[in-house]
Amino acid sequence: MNAPPRHELYVLEDGEKPVEITEDTKIPNAATIKIVKQDHTLANMLRAQLLAMPQTLFAGYKVPHPLHPYFLIKIQTDGTITPQDLLEQACKKLIATMVTLESKFTREFSYKDVESTTGVTANTGLDDPYGTGAGGAAYGRGKDYLDF
Amino acid sequence: MQALEELEPTVRIRELKKDRVNFVLENVDLAFANSLRRVVMADIPTVAIDMVEIETNTSVLPDEFIAHRLGMIPLISTNCDEAIRYTRDCICLAGCSFCSIMLVLNVACHDDTTMDVTSDHLDVVPLNAEGPLPDSGDEIQKRTEHFGHPVGKNDPSTPPVLICKIRKGQELKMRCIAKKGIAKEHAKWSPCSAVSFEYDPHNKLRHTTYWYEKDIKDEWPLSENAREEEPPRDDEPFDYNAKPNKFYFEIETDGSLNPQEVVMKGLAELQTKLANLILGLKQQPDLEIMQNEGVGMAHIQPQTQATGWGETSAWSQQTSPRTAGGASQWTSSPDNNPWGNSAGWSSPSQKANGWNM
Repeated sequence: MNAPPRHELYVLEDGEKPVEITEDTKIPNAATIKIVKQDHTLANMLRAQLLAMPQTLFAGYKVPHPLHPYFLIKIQTDGTITPQDLLEQACKKLIATMVTLESKFTREFSYKDVESTTGVTANTGLDDPYGTGAGGAAYGRGKDYLDF
Repeated sequence: MQALEELEPTVRIRELKKDRVNFVLENVDLAFANSLRRVVMADIPTVAIDMVEIETNTSVLPDEFIAHRLGMIPLISTNCDEAIRYTRDCICLAGCSFCSIMLVLNVACHDDTTMDVTSDHLDVVPLNAEGPLPDSGDEIQKRTEHFGHPVGKNDPSTPPVLICKIRKGQELKMRCIAKKGIAKEHAKWSPCSAVSFEYDPHNKLRHTTYWYEKDIKDEWPLSENAREEEPPRDDEPFDYNAKPNKFYFEIETDGSLNPQEVVMKGLAELQTKLANLILGLKQQPDLEIMQNEGVGMAHIQPQTQATGWGETSAWSQQTSPRTAGGASQWTSSPDNNPWGNSAGWSSPSQKANGWNM
């Protein structure tokens, strides 16, 4: 009854800052970055990408409480770059990976589409996925099982 | 790790069906592959029934039971990004044709045999629009013909979803409002019915420990994916530097989206997340500059919060001390006034503190 709206878990409120950077006072070139309304999906991917970069001395993340929709990522660099910039680079690298992967998926899907029109697999056209019923063969087999 | 970075990620689709795709993803990090898995399961918007107004329910199932079952029915959500808005982003108060779809269920049994009420009985009806809306978006034009219809309604080869069984004299009559949402909010919005994810089928990396009685090889059959990889020799030493780089996925959808759309939207969603983070990092320096320019603490706080509170906060910060101060000036003795100087001046700063700490 008093539950907060569920979309508060992943939608930024009006004017809420998505990122908050706290520089570490005791460790050089280190910062803890609080990223709100995000979870392990983004955090773990970023952490892994940061660890793969040579400028990183330390990268780790935590979700302090499962009911609080934010995570903290702690980064220490070797001093050639600030943690913020390193994080930005990591994001850009990941986006680049994503873009190449996207084009590869598109190509693979288009090959499969060509095959499917020859009747090997069901119709998988993007425009009319369920109207034509070309995939009926796969479902039609269910009838055999009823006949037994 | 470095070597892995140099290689381009590759993907090979092994099987593509109407409702599923099986592919092998190579040369990516485990965390990356897992993020893709998580994002296709939880972050892709679809439409699902969210509100049910029950007019008549004389069936054996209680109202909430039926409402829950209705919510679980997959609805065709092709191009959900552009074809429908979230109600929270819409200009309407509770729901309009831009952000919701209405379905009606109206069945009564008049036969002596039990009747199955299925998703085929759900009909999409246009929402009773109260005249033309002030901002007419192009969402409705972007919808496909069957957008919002229950999956399989126009396809006799797909068996419908059973909602309830009714006998003679029983009736179900209700209106359902379907809305856009994501599975992080409720699993009914997930486009996936199952996502399988596997790597290292021979357990060479020892990321898992198998329990066994006598012989591990007899008791643990290898998965299909094991054929893709070289089995380890018995005398092979453990390579503790090895990293997984070949991931076997099978994404099975519930029919609301097709598998291509799920994968492509998943990748797009991950990019959006990263792009928003970059944007957030870039906005950060502006805030610091603003704080350095600030004259005093009292002025900085409203400024930093200005976007959060909107215009109202700026006004309340300015007007409330003034009115309070004015009142105290007019009273003969400030001490007698419960809203005296100190109270009048302190309350806004307390508010600011409460929100900034």
